This record gives sequence, C-alpha cells and structure tokens, in this order.
Amino acid sequence: MASAVTTTSRGQGRGRAGWVWALPPVAVLAVVLLYPLALVVQQSVTPDEGSTSLTPYADVFASESFRSALGTTVWLAVGSTVGCLVLGFALALVIAFVPFPGGKAVAKFIDVFLSFPSFLITLALLFIYGTVGMANGVWTDATGASEGPFHFLTTPWGVLLAEITYFTPFVMRPLLAAFSQLDTAQLEVASSLGARPARIVRKVILPEALPALAAGGSLVLVMCLNEFGIVLFTGAKDVTTLPMLVYGKAILESDYPAACVVAVVNIALSVGLYTLYRTVSRRVGA
Amino acid sequence: MTGAAAGPAASGIRFDRVSVAYGGNTVLDRLDLTVEPGEVMALLGPSGSGKTTALRAVAGFVRPASGRVYLGDRDVTDLPPHRRGIGMVVQQYALFPHMRVRDNVAFGLKARKVYKTETATRVADALELVGMSAYATRYPRELSGGQQQRVAIARALAVRPGVLLLDEPLSALDAQLRSGMLAELARLHRELPDVSILYVTHDQVEALTLADRIAVIDQARLQDCGTPQELYRSPRTEFTASFVGNANLLPVTVGSGTVAFAGRDLELFTTDATAGATATLCVRPHLVGLGDGPNALTGTVTEVQWRGSTHRLYVDIGGHRVKADLRELREPPALGQKVTLHFAPEDAVLLPAVDQSAPEAVTATGGAHG
Amino acid sequence: MLVHSRAGKWGTWALFLLLFVPLFAVPLLVIVAASFSTNWSGAFPSGPTAGNYTAATSGDSLQALTTSLVTALCASLLALALGTWAALAAASLRKPGKRLLDALFMLPVAVPSVVVGLAVLVAFSKPPLLLNGTRWIVILAHTVLVTAFAYQSVAAAIRRLDPMYEQAAASLGARPAHVLWRIKLPLLLPSLTAAAGLCFALSMGELSATMMLYPPDWTPLPVQIFAATDRGSLFTGAAVSVVLMGTTLLVLLAVSRIRTRASYR
Repeated sequence: MASAVTTTSRGQGRGRAGWVWALPPVAVLAVVLLYPLALVVQQSVTPDEGSTSLTPYADVFASESFRSALGTTVWLAVGSTVGCLVLGFALALVIAFVPFPGGKAVAKFIDVFLSFPSFLITLALLFIYGTVGMANGVWTDATGASEGPFHFLTTPWGVLLAEITYFTPFVMRPLLAAFSQLDTAQLEVASSLGARPARIVRKVILPEALPALAAGGSLVLVMCLNEFGIVLFTGAKDVTTLPMLVYGKAILESDYPAACVVAVVNIALSVGLYTLYRTVSRRVGA
Repeated sequence: MTGAAAGPAASGIRFDRVSVAYGGNTVLDRLDLTVEPGEVMALLGPSGSGKTTALRAVAGFVRPASGRVYLGDRDVTDLPPHRRGIGMVVQQYALFPHMRVRDNVAFGLKARKVYKTETATRVADALELVGMSAYATRYPRELSGGQQQRVAIARALAVRPGVLLLDEPLSALDAQLRSGMLAELARLHRELPDVSILYVTHDQVEALTLADRIAVIDQARLQDCGTPQELYRSPRTEFTASFVGNANLLPVTVGSGTVAFAGRDLELFTTDATAGATATLCVRPHLVGLGDGPNALTGTVTEVQWRGSTHRLYVDIGGHRVKADLRELREPPALGQKVTLHFAPEDAVLLPAVDQSAPEAVTATGGAHG
Repeated sequence: MLVHSRAGKWGTWALFLLLFVPLFAVPLLVIVAASFSTNWSGAFPSGPTAGNYTAATSGDSLQALTTSLVTALCASLLALALGTWAALAAASLRKPGKRLLDALFMLPVAVPSVVVGLAVLVAFSKPPLLLNGTRWIVILAHTVLVTAFAYQSVAAAIRRLDPMYEQAAASLGARPAHVLWRIKLPLLLPSLTAAAGLCFALSMGELSATMMLYPPDWTPLPVQIFAATDRGSLFTGAAVSVVLMGTTLLVLLAVSRIRTRASYR
C-alpha cells in the first residue's frame, strides 16, 4: 500500500500511483457487487434466455401486487420516518436538555439497541400484541370476551409500529451528537430573556438540529424502504413491500426476471434517496 | 545507513527563486535565500506571511510551483520528504503517542535500518543532549509540554541531520518555559556547530536571540535579510523597522543635510538621500529621550502606559504619533501635557519613502547586507 | 437547563419514561422473559422453564450459533481488510477519485440487502464462480454488506487523523510503507477494532440477504429464529434470540476492551 498513503499536503504523491493502490479493492468490489448488480439489471430485461425486451417491466408494472407493494413500501417508509423524527427529536431533547441521572446509560442503551437485528422488535411485538399474546390475554381475562381487540400486528400498522421503534435510535444518535455541540449558554441566555421552553426549542434548538434531522431522517427513509426482517416476521399476507416481493418472486415463485425487475425499481428508489441523503449531509456537514 | 537519506554531509539550504501557490494564491513569491552550513537562519514574519510554507518546501511537504530547493549541493526539489535527510520539529511536537520516548527517538534510526547497537547508543546520546535520559520509557502523554519539546528535538537530532527545521517550536510553551528553551536551543547549537538551522517564528525576541541572520518575510516575499544587529539598527524597509523593534516611522522631506518633519528641521546622517525627496525616518522608541536635547520635538501627551520598569508615552507631534520608551519616571507627564522629546542624530535611520507598489523581491544570497 | 420548575422536570421525565420504556426497553425484556417461559397469554408469562435454552443451545440451534459466529468472523475480517485498504487508498486520491470510491463503497448501504442477496445469488449460481449451495456464498454476501460500514468508519478515522504524525515520520526518513505500518495503522487501531465490532454485530443479525441464499447446511441464527417462529415455536425463538443478543454483546464488550487498551497504550 506504499504510495497510496503518501499524503504529502498538496498534489504530491497523488495521481496515478494513488489509483494503482485503489485498484485492488475496487476490483474486488466490482466482482462481488457491481457485476452481480449488473447481472440483475441485465436479467430484468431478458425474460427467457432470449432477446432484450422490456416486457418484464410492462408485466410487472401492470400487476396489481407490484403496484400495491410499491404503494405500501412508500407510505410505510414515509410514515415511519415521520414517526421516528418526531419521537426521536422529543426523546433526544429530554436526554440532552432535561438531564437526569442515568441519561448516559440511556444513550449507551441506544447504541446497543442499534447493534441488534430489526426482526427482534417484531418478535417482541408478537408476544405483546399477538393473537395469543399479553395484551389480548389481559383483555380476555378482564372482559371474558373470547378474543382480544388487538389484531393490528398483521396489518401495515404493526409494521409501522415496529419500524418506528427500531429506527428511532438512528435519528436520536446524530441528534444527540448535534445537541452536544450546542452551546448551553445560548439556552440560558434565551431563558433569562424570558423565552418559554417551547419557544427556545423552536427558535434556538430546532434550527441547530435541522441538519441532523435531515441526515437522520433520510437515512431512516432509505432503511425503511429496504427493510425486510420486520415485514417477514409479522407473517402478514396482506403486507407486501418491495423487498418482500423480491424475496417472494425469487425464492417462493422462482420467477427471477420478475424479481430482478422489482429489484431494479427498489434499487432506483433507494439509491436515488441515498444520493439525496449524502448530498444533504455533505452540504450541512453532518 | 542508506545512501539516499544522507547524513551531516548535506549541509546548508538554498532557495533558488522558490514560488509556492495554493489554488492560484501565491503564498511564497520567488524566494532567494541561502542558509550557510552551521548557520542559524530565522524566518521572521507575521502569521500567513509564507514563512512556514518556505520551511515546508525544504521538508518536502509542499511542492514549489517554480524554483529549486537545494540541501548542500543536492537539488532536493523532486525528492520525497523521507529521502531528504532533514530533522524537523513542529509546533505541536507530533510525538508518536503509541510509542515510548525511547522508541520515538529511535524511529528515524530504525527507518534507516541503523544497526541495533548503534541505535541504542545514538538514542541515549540524543536523550542525554536534551536532558531527557530519565524519561526514556515514558509515553509522550506522561510528559509536560517542555519535556515533549525536548524529546521532539532529540528525535530530530538522533538521525544526525545536516539541516534542522524548527517550525515555531516554542509557541506552544508558556512564557517562562519559552525563555528557558531558548537558552537550551542556543546551547544545542553551540554543541552541534555543523548543523544548519532554519527557524520559523513570528516572535522577534526568539529571532534576535538565536539567529545568526534573520530573513524577514511578509506577504509571501522576502522583505529584508541580515544579522540581528543590522536589521535592528539599520532596517532597510518600513516593514522590518516596525516588525522588528516596533520603531517610530515618521514621514519627512529631505533637505540639505537635514530632514523636515512637522515644521522642524532635524539633523541626521543623511548620506544618499536626494534633497526634496520624501522619506521615512525610523527611530526606536527606547532611543527617544524626554526633555531638551538634539532634534527636540514638542507635542501633546495622548497616552501614558506604565510597564513596570519603563513608561511608554504616546506623544502627538504635528498630527503624528511618536512612541517613547523611558526608564520608569518618578513623575510621569499627565495626559494633554506639552512635553519635549529628542533623539540623537546617529540613532535615526532614513528609509526610502513608502512605495505602495510592491518592490522587487529582496535578494539575499550572501551574508552581505545593505 | 430547558425546564426549570421541579414539577415541569418530573413531568418531562415521566413522559420520557412513558415513551421510552414501552418502546425500547419492554421489547427486549419481553424477549428475555419469554425465553424462560412456556406460555404467555396473560399479563405475565407463565410456566417458567429453562427448557427453551436446552433447545436453543443444542442440535440445529447450536449448529446455527457456530455458523453465525464463523460467518460473522470471516465477513467482518474480510470487510475490515477490504474497507481499510479502500479507505486508505481513497485518502490518497484527489477529490473526484475520493468521491467515486466513497460512492462505490457506500453502495451496499443504499441497495436493499434483499437485492444484494438476489444479485449475489444470480451472479454466483453459474460458472465461472459457482458458489451457490455452499457456505461461501453466505460469507460473501455478508462481507459485501458490512464492507460499507467498515469503509465508513475507517474513512472517518483517517479524516480525524492528524497528518502531522505521518509528516513527522516522513521527515525522519521513514518510507511510506514504514509510515503506514508503524504510524498510521497503530494510530488507527482503536477505530479499526470498533469497525470490526460493528461489522461483526451487523453480520450476526443479518437476515435479508441470508434468506435469499443460505444453503440448508449453513443456516445462521437469524434464519433459525425465523424458522422457529414461523412454525409457531415462539418461545424457542425467543431463547435463540437471547443467545444471539448475548453473543453479540459479549463480542462487542471484548472488542471495546481491546479498544480501550489500544488507545491508552
């Protein structure tokens, strides 16, 4: 890796030698990711070992299941993102500005939470709100009814709840980082000038938090669009998102061209949004 | 030792019309300067003047847009830093935090594949030289700023460089430590008479104390170069006069044998000024006396600063502010009081008038001045 | 500092707990509680047992645990090597080159994991590289997915690294390779171990791509958990989940200890 690391301050040691050292990892990436992705795109336009055509796209776009999956995916992602932003902002606000003993432990807990897989949340919700779960059990015991009122777990609302739960920490982390940069003297001055907490939040904290909110929000949006484990674990037949559709077409129906078409649409959606996220976060320096 | 990273043989530094530009911005403009073998050359200038850029061009961390850099007879302009065989100490010391003092000092020797036994002796010698032998097994974070500075110097000297580059080495130390380290550096130079030292600083005291010669740099250009005495007693430019020693600069008109200032004729040794020309009179504040005498000037006191052992007066004379540093006065004048100041003809220097269009860069290749 | 009255503070904290505890703490506690039960259809679980763990640490589940550990270890080490190399190379490029490498190596974050799984499946189900049906295809997919995170953390660490250290080393006569080995990598070590821990945790919990391409003899823990819950053995699933969380935590803890030691050396 010799000359790749000569970062003499300007110009020197860069250029061609740098590229030579960048080449091996890029080549590996090309084999294990870029080439496979290219194959997916290629398969999506070659239905049966034959010539190139856009019929798979026409077929998929025409199908009811694809359209509803696209709709479900987008509204779930948008809904979850909004929920995460609101909840994450509120919680981070308390941790940062109404400090309490154990606040550090909570922040640490959030870090740990992020390292667990998403489907654990759905699993937990199954115990709490499942048909034979805790909440329904309490209800039937209390009222003597034959079944409880909680059936939302197999509907999109169950997915929404799980996604908000799982992804909120992804918003909180950049927010907490941004809040720790905020000069608390500003808040003290503002309140000494007679501003009420709500006004301070709106006029002082929110403007400072906007970059972190934008960055965290767009990251969560992309991750929600791509989320698979949460949806898979609810086991709901009527909640199909794009990643679920890819899985279903490929593994359950062995309809690879259709799976590839859905995959390409999903990639376009996510990569487009991710590019937006990178641009936003680079611009705001988050 | 590998041949490329040569040792003390390569001595002396020469800048040959070196220009450096960052993105179209010239930060060093056609610098011509020679540091003789064994000489201490201070690069003195305000921050952003280009002095650090000049040092980094010698080290190889900036590449000149044009011009050449020589170490001894070697043209090193195109050599990477690790093949230049220099020693360098920077403001923040840059000691490797994951290595003990001993290993920090040995780093350059190991990089040159010097034999283990010799490495051990030379590390011990270098630490001895800076008085840090007792700290060989400490980590940098366990040392004070001044101790870290010594280790950084030992590390640079262990490779026995012909050229030592010091980039504001004392500016991270507090005032008291700084004067101690200054004496220490002077001693080091006496013990290593063959090493050329390029010393970048914005502090005139450091430059005056340590340097054999001072190169004054401002706005990317070499303004003046000479021994400390020359620069202090007879600066060639207004910038040097005010930056080194904070001189009074008074606009005058040259007469025959005298100059006119604020309606008075002043006597000086005007040698080469043509009558009728405008010029700048340069007098050091501490060479100005209170009371009547030769070249007496009367004005109004506008400010009095007591500085412990001295009083500084600011006196308005014909609309110009004149500074006078006087040994502590028993009865300092009051604000608004009329006072008379004077100075001896031989204490004043006449500089060519302010030429706002930038002058051609000063060339200072030899030791000669003026 | 935002709310000054006593009542206001307590009110805020109460609201915080009301939101935080049910949303974040309860789910994990529920899984732990369920893992020790046989039935849960009231306010509290019933039928305390350790039997779920017997199931979760023997036979298929034990196999799944070792599968996950091996996969995560291989994937995180490979990703760390690839990501570090790429990040070091990117740091020496000019802006456009750096941008390109950033974009390439961050791609796996943006592309849905399921699609990465599909792509790897499509590409390696045919010659010249026939990996389908072997464990290598799982390890490969995991490596691709976590490389992005390794790259991201190492690149961030390189940006934070003060260039004065490598310049000091170069001025002392160290060749670039020597600077890399003796200065840059040791200084980056804390960040490298952190990145390795992150990659390991992510690989341990990876389900989406794995579902697309795992062979029957190489089922990692998340797949095992899904299989258990899918056939209705929720309580066994909970126990396996606790094993997954516990293992991940243990490894993260070990890594963070190495990390503290490395940074305080």
